[in-house]
Amino acid sequence: MITPEAMHLAESMAHYALIVMAIVYTLRLRWFLGFAAGKERQAPTGAEDTTPKKGSMYSLMNIAMPWAMESTRKKPFFYMQFVLFHLGVVSGITLSFTIPFAPEFTASPVVHLLFKIFLGAACLVGFMRIIRRMTDKYVRAISTPDDHFAVWLLTVWFGLAFFATDMAGGWMQYIYFWMTMFFLLYVPFSKISHYLYYPFTRWYIGKTMGRRGVYPIRRGRVAG
Amino acid sequence: MSVQTNGKQRSHKAEMALKRMKSKLNRQVVGSLVGCVHCGMCTDSCHYVQTNPGDVTYAPAWKADRLRKIFKREIDWTGRVFPWWVGAKSVFSDEDLEELKDIAFGKCTNCRRCTINCPMGVDFATFNRMLRGMLVSVGVMPEGVAVVSKDQWEIGNQMGVLKEDYLDTLEWMADEMQIELDDESAQIPIDKKNANVVYSINPREVKYDPRTISDAAKIFHMAGEDWTMPSEGWDMTNFGLFSGDDDLGGAVAGMLYDKVIELKGKKLVISECGHGYRSTRCEGPNWAKKDVPFEMESSVITMLNYIKEGRIKVDKSRNPQPVTFHDSCNNARSCGLFEEPRELLQLVCEDFREMYPNRAENYCCTGGGGAMSMSEYAGRRLKSAKVKADQLKATGAEVVVTSCHNCVDGLSDCIKHYELGMEVTQLVNLVANALVIPEKPVVVPVEKEAEKVVAHAESLVNRTILIVDDEPDILTFFSTVLEDNGARILTATDGEEAVELAMREQPDLITLDINMPGKDGGWVFSRLREEKATSQIPVCIISGKPELRRLIYERSVPPPEGYVDKPVDEAMLMRNVRKILDLSKRDQTHSVESN
Ligand code: SF4
Ligand code: SF4
Repeated sequence: MITPEAMHLAESMAHYALIVMAIVYTLRLRWFLGFAAGKERQAPTGAEDTTPKKGSMYSLMNIAMPWAMESTRKKPFFYMQFVLFHLGVVSGITLSFTIPFAPEFTASPVVHLLFKIFLGAACLVGFMRIIRRMTDKYVRAISTPDDHFAVWLLTVWFGLAFFATDMAGGWMQYIYFWMTMFFLLYVPFSKISHYLYYPFTRWYIGKTMGRRGVYPIRRGRVAG
Repeated sequence: MSVQTNGKQRSHKAEMALKRMKSKLNRQVVGSLVGCVHCGMCTDSCHYVQTNPGDVTYAPAWKADRLRKIFKREIDWTGRVFPWWVGAKSVFSDEDLEELKDIAFGKCTNCRRCTINCPMGVDFATFNRMLRGMLVSVGVMPEGVAVVSKDQWEIGNQMGVLKEDYLDTLEWMADEMQIELDDESAQIPIDKKNANVVYSINPREVKYDPRTISDAAKIFHMAGEDWTMPSEGWDMTNFGLFSGDDDLGGAVAGMLYDKVIELKGKKLVISECGHGYRSTRCEGPNWAKKDVPFEMESSVITMLNYIKEGRIKVDKSRNPQPVTFHDSCNNARSCGLFEEPRELLQLVCEDFREMYPNRAENYCCTGGGGAMSMSEYAGRRLKSAKVKADQLKATGAEVVVTSCHNCVDGLSDCIKHYELGMEVTQLVNLVANALVIPEKPVVVPVEKEAEKVVAHAESLVNRTILIVDDEPDILTFFSTVLEDNGARILTATDGEEAVELAMREQPDLITLDINMPGKDGGWVFSRLREEKATSQIPVCIISGKPELRRLIYERSVPPPEGYVDKPVDEAMLMRNVRKILDLSKRDQTHSVESN
């Protein structure tokens, strides 16, 4: 059994890591925002009911509209994997707070079951992603050591979190917190930090495409 | 010359290219460079991937990573501290730049299809354009790009059309329109001040497709429009979009804007050209760093409005054949011009069939991004066109309509290569064909009409034309067409024979292939111009590779009277031959008059 002090240290370290992550993120955002935004001088084109703002909103919501892009429309299974994987991330992070601060919440059978489902599914998807990254010729060709490591890291972390949900004060939970600490320290330096830029890239592309009447995407009748 | 960097030598060109990259980074581009998660979702959206299965070097993210690696190594601190871990890698040698050239120009048409399929909003096409600009800034580019850019910088339009040729073509088109409409008031007004519409065109229309000019003129005339065409600054195309050279982009767009302001025009109407529309209407103000004080509109919208407002009448039964529509990437995916062309097509054609996918999801014609001027990549281009060919075939249409001159060429090549037997046309041609022209009460004497027809058919009678080409097929094709039109034909298959025949026979025109074994067309052209006996004979240069025009440019002799790029069809050949002979006849008349 892990002593409460040791467990407390592991939990605290994970939370301190979160603060470090926030600081590094702030620095990265400062760096990113240091680049001037390109200006669009053109008068709007395209359908009258499209505007830069509408385009940006559509673009930001794109991720929740699998029908909006051919790439997600034609690969519903892959899209489902994406959803489960990211639900796993949210569950894993939430767990690092609920275990020390709201154990009764984690212990509720429904919440417990949901954590299990999301983390278990995410772990499974993680393994599928590992296999895909190693076997798909195209994905392998664009993968860096960071890409491989990031998916391994998350998959193992999901696994630990999955077991951490039922072993209060056990080894799994202990390792899970140390792993969370490492994960949070590593994230700002890896591609996992993509979500920091996501709102910007989607906002800007949406603004341009909205001004030009391209977003929201219009399609003719779907064939084939 | 090289520079020492982190213990490694870096060539001067590589150093300058990196400097250029740093000066061009903005938040949008940086977002796209740092935002990719290497998920591979964009892979299948690219027509190059679909036609080269298994070749990872065509995958959008792989291509994008070539610049991303440099960015990471030079700018992003994770790449500067742990280059191996995040795949950061800079450029050091001229060979590295050449490799980048092959990707940026030869493996991507900047069509933006991967962009709209990326869940992260990574806009690869935009930073591939930036990569092109980096390379162009240090002179690393396909030869065709260099030639066309040079033309646009020096002559003001991307096909090197001289002002006299442009004005002559407008005059010629106005004459044809007057004859066709039997109406002397049908004019192409030049540099008219305060006109409602200033009409800008693609130089391709002057060189290869003047019918689009006369068709547009006919539509403006029938709509009773107060319009004009500028004598200068008329080219709405912009090679800056393809070469990534914002300075060229800004200069070209600025020239056009300045002309409209000078003429006090109310609206600039842009003829059907995807990249021209995008450059002039959307990107130009950004490149030129100017706010444009007048309205700009695609001619597709202008024509549609004329019909809707009842200013012109059309009869769709004149276009009965099944047609489909190809959305140009620049018009559709980058400027949102989707519905107007369809609405117009429904009004002027009887049988319109949609192509799938379409609108923003359509595939590139494969000639985009300036690909038509890069003959070294023609093989790849035509291979990737299989996707387009399949799309076209599935429509069952006989005619494919597009609102882009570049797509006309790209599609024509695709159709020819995959033997689809389809015709390519533009909306302006269909609208002009469907125009209902009120009958004139004046009866034209039958003999006069008959005379006109005979004169047209036998327009080359008493003309001697020397055809110089080493390809027997071309010799036969040119000879047949020109002979059928009444010309006397001489042929030569090599340079020396050509010069000898020209001296002896004094033909009225020489069509000269540039690319011949032994003494090439450049040598023959110089000899002809230098010899007193042949210096005045008009020459029409025939070439399959636009970049070979430099063999002509680089000679310090007067320029040829015309250029025709292969593949050549009968109409194109006759149009150019007639034009050159007509002009040289006019020149002679002028010089006789002035003597
Ligand atoms: S560009 Fe977009 S879709 Fe393509 S690999 Fe990167 S993140 Fe994925
Ligand atoms: S822009 Fe078009 S050609 Fe270039 S990689 Fe993307 S899909 Fe392919």
